[in-house]
Amino acid sequence: MTPTTRTRWAILTLTGPAYLWLACTIFLPLLAMLALSFLDKSPLVPKPASFTLDNYGAYFSKGFYWPLTLWSIQLGFWVTFFCLLIGYPAAYALAKRIKGRWREAIFLLIVLPFWSNALVRIFSWTMVLRSNGIVDMSVQAMFPGAPSIDLLYSYPAVIIGLTHSYLPYMILTCYIALQAIDDSLMEAGRSLGATAFTTFRRVVLPLSLPGIISGAALIFVPVIGSFMEPRILGGTKGATLGMNIEEQFTVTANWPLGSALSFILLAIVLIIFGILYPFLRKQGGEA
Amino acid sequence: MKRLLDGGIRFYLVLVLVFLYLPILVMALFAFNKSPLYALPFEFDLVWFRALAENDKLLKAGLNSLLIALANTVIATSFGTMAAVAFGRYAFRGKTLLQALLFPPIAIPWLVIGTAMLVFFFWTARAMGVPGMARGLHAILLGHVALSLPYVIFVVGARLNDYPKVLEEAAATLGATPWQVFRRVSVPILAPGVVAAALFAFAVSFDQFVISYFLAPPGVTTLPVEIYTSIRKGFTPEINAISTIIIAVSMGLMLIVARFYRFGGERSGNE
Amino acid sequence: MTGKTRGLNGGLGIVSRRKFVAGASALALGAGVAPFISRRAMAAGEVKVLNWQGYGTDEKWALEIFKKATGLDVVHDYYNSESEMITKLQTNPGTYDVIVTNSAWNDRASDLGVIQPIDTAQISHYGDLNPAFRDSPLLEADGKVYGVSWVWGITAIGYSTEVFKEAPKSLETLWDAKLAKRVSLRDDAIEAVSFGAIATGQDMNHPKDLAKVKEKLLALKPNIAMLWSSEDEWNKSFQAKTFDISVYWSGSALRSKNNFKLPVGFVVPEEGAVGWFDGLAIGKDAPNAEGAHKFIDFMIDPTFYVEWATKIGAPASANNAAMAAMPEGDDKTLYSDQAAIKRLQFMAPLTDEERQAYSDLWTEVKTEFAK
Repeated sequence: MTPTTRTRWAILTLTGPAYLWLACTIFLPLLAMLALSFLDKSPLVPKPASFTLDNYGAYFSKGFYWPLTLWSIQLGFWVTFFCLLIGYPAAYALAKRIKGRWREAIFLLIVLPFWSNALVRIFSWTMVLRSNGIVDMSVQAMFPGAPSIDLLYSYPAVIIGLTHSYLPYMILTCYIALQAIDDSLMEAGRSLGATAFTTFRRVVLPLSLPGIISGAALIFVPVIGSFMEPRILGGTKGATLGMNIEEQFTVTANWPLGSALSFILLAIVLIIFGILYPFLRKQGGEA
Repeated sequence: MKRLLDGGIRFYLVLVLVFLYLPILVMALFAFNKSPLYALPFEFDLVWFRALAENDKLLKAGLNSLLIALANTVIATSFGTMAAVAFGRYAFRGKTLLQALLFPPIAIPWLVIGTAMLVFFFWTARAMGVPGMARGLHAILLGHVALSLPYVIFVVGARLNDYPKVLEEAAATLGATPWQVFRRVSVPILAPGVVAAALFAFAVSFDQFVISYFLAPPGVTTLPVEIYTSIRKGFTPEINAISTIIIAVSMGLMLIVARFYRFGGERSGNE
Repeated sequence: MTGKTRGLNGGLGIVSRRKFVAGASALALGAGVAPFISRRAMAAGEVKVLNWQGYGTDEKWALEIFKKATGLDVVHDYYNSESEMITKLQTNPGTYDVIVTNSAWNDRASDLGVIQPIDTAQISHYGDLNPAFRDSPLLEADGKVYGVSWVWGITAIGYSTEVFKEAPKSLETLWDAKLAKRVSLRDDAIEAVSFGAIATGQDMNHPKDLAKVKEKLLALKPNIAMLWSSEDEWNKSFQAKTFDISVYWSGSALRSKNNFKLPVGFVVPEEGAVGWFDGLAIGKDAPNAEGAHKFIDFMIDPTFYVEWATKIGAPASANNAAMAAMPEGDDKTLYSDQAAIKRLQFMAPLTDEERQAYSDLWTEVKTEFAK
């Protein structure tokens, strides 16, 4: 075998199982959903369906979809931003400042909260955030007579809940990337007279960019489709596009519209990443 | 100065952990609280653990979830890591497309994916003349692995952008067998990413509701299905009790693993 | 499911574990689809029920009694919305024996051919059912009975008896300017539109003037504290004093008051409120139709009902004999208040277009609430 055919075989063997699996269980069903989004009836209704663009038209003609979309994207940006803000320093500390057994222990402790049920976690947050809840009671205990704090059913509550749910992704993807950076590179930068900040900006940040991108993808993408956390923590302030998509499956049984909205959501995600990706790659200096 | 900095860093990590564990602590607290309505003030009682001990439906659901999540973790982590290695090691045409294809499973709400899967499996099984095959633990596992794969590929991939192919080649040139190259060079590079990915794959499956909800046959149920289908009436602190037990046991196991096994990826020169 | 039912389909019984391992290894081999078929033909010994979770049919003590009487095990599958119930029925032909259906959904199920006619002669308590529900056209199609009326209830106003010394009389109370941020609704398009229609004096199921309904609901914005979506959420928020008055379900209100000792009052306002009733249906090609009839008979049996209603809390029974057997109490007072019952409008089937219109309207209102 020539090296190129060998490489080709290697690529095929390595990617084959995962993508074959994805094709059979997700891509084909989603293709069916994509086709469905151009029909006027659900496939299980025993009446002939015909081609239509109305489902996509509805998105543009109904006035409420645009604000819902905007809020969902905003939510995605805020949550990704806070995860990065909190998570990156934590990842850096873990990768570069903590040594030995503690590192493994903290690494595991960061994911463990994820092994509980999301709904149970959110209900726990309601206990923390509501007036007479845990935040309120601790503040009152520390500063008697302070005004009562009721964070529940507000936009910040949604951000807090979602940031909590997705923070481990950012910490660990950044950790994995940061940990792979050889300390000697950083020392070299410093011995050449660069300030700590310059070293960070020119060496550490670009090399850890893959971690940030992976983390951001795993946070931003699901968050803009989220509906459970906004509904339970946001009260009336948590309207999202995801909620309306859910409703097309649980209330109206309008699968074609629900699929069309999902694919619009997907298109938005791909466009945003399409715009950001080249920019990020450039920052990363084709690492 | 350095001491102070290190102290500050540790304190910051502790703060982050406190934030991550706050709702978990609340969850555990209410498992030991008497009120079925999660009311304060706190009144210690083991009533929910006793109720749980008799609730074999919930216990079986928990066991089902655990087994599915374990099988899912093994399969998704293996296949996902392989794909991530291919992306990290080789530049090839279609790579960006394959990577972009990881977005649909995480971007499209799970309810939509679950419905699509249900209908698709139903059609496939009917076309094959075995309608009963559309549902069951095998179908659930098919779906869970598919949803976990993108997470694994992204997480493992976070490390492999700069895949040190050179190291592997050098080892091979120096006479190492492919197995030795894999064991001594590739595994240590991959380890932290793979461990993190496995932990996430477990979490994705263990908390996955829609797939099991649609694909579990009557009488078979998982923990998330038990929790989410009780949403109309509401769940009791028994759910807190079982979640607390799961978290506590996992924490114990994990700390034992952390004590005896290194996977955090110590590089030479790091210590 | 009880501990004794570790039969072939008993949750994670021996077989399902083996099935699971077989499935896992088949998949690991890359076979893609597991080469075995779920054995679910255990017809004789089992009744498969599709219902909401925690809604009567899955009470453990009741299933033990049923097992003793008939030798049949009852296993469950759950749905979270009626639309998902229909999906489950369509994608699992010949799987379910008994299905709990909202009467407004019964004819959709019979139209789609996913439920079958019921032989009422096999149901011994059928004659005791309240004719108003039993003979409802909603449960019939082409002269055949497709549903046995089971329970009914009221969706009206739940309020805090600490805040309201007297029961609020009018639905307009929800719009009272004094109740800023003290009101709650359920996050449900159909229910919201129903109350908007009642408040504007229209037919609840098919309001002619949807613009008026929308305007009325939008006017509620300053008063809305939260939107709830489950009984559990309602109780917890009520207890935390997040709201004082809200749309609520009758059976849940009784549970909140009696089981959880919350200061909840429940009232049918003078403008009217929503009435609904649920039926029991039998799946098309049910694997155990005979067992299904037996289970339905057991579900409308007064003995079961009284136990369920007094111990756990339940909506009203459609069985007159069962209601007569109830001890005096809040349930009986509420469900036998003829004047209040007269004010109810009962939920009727909606067309897809109506559902879509109501859902869009509610999304629009919620979008305004969020601004």
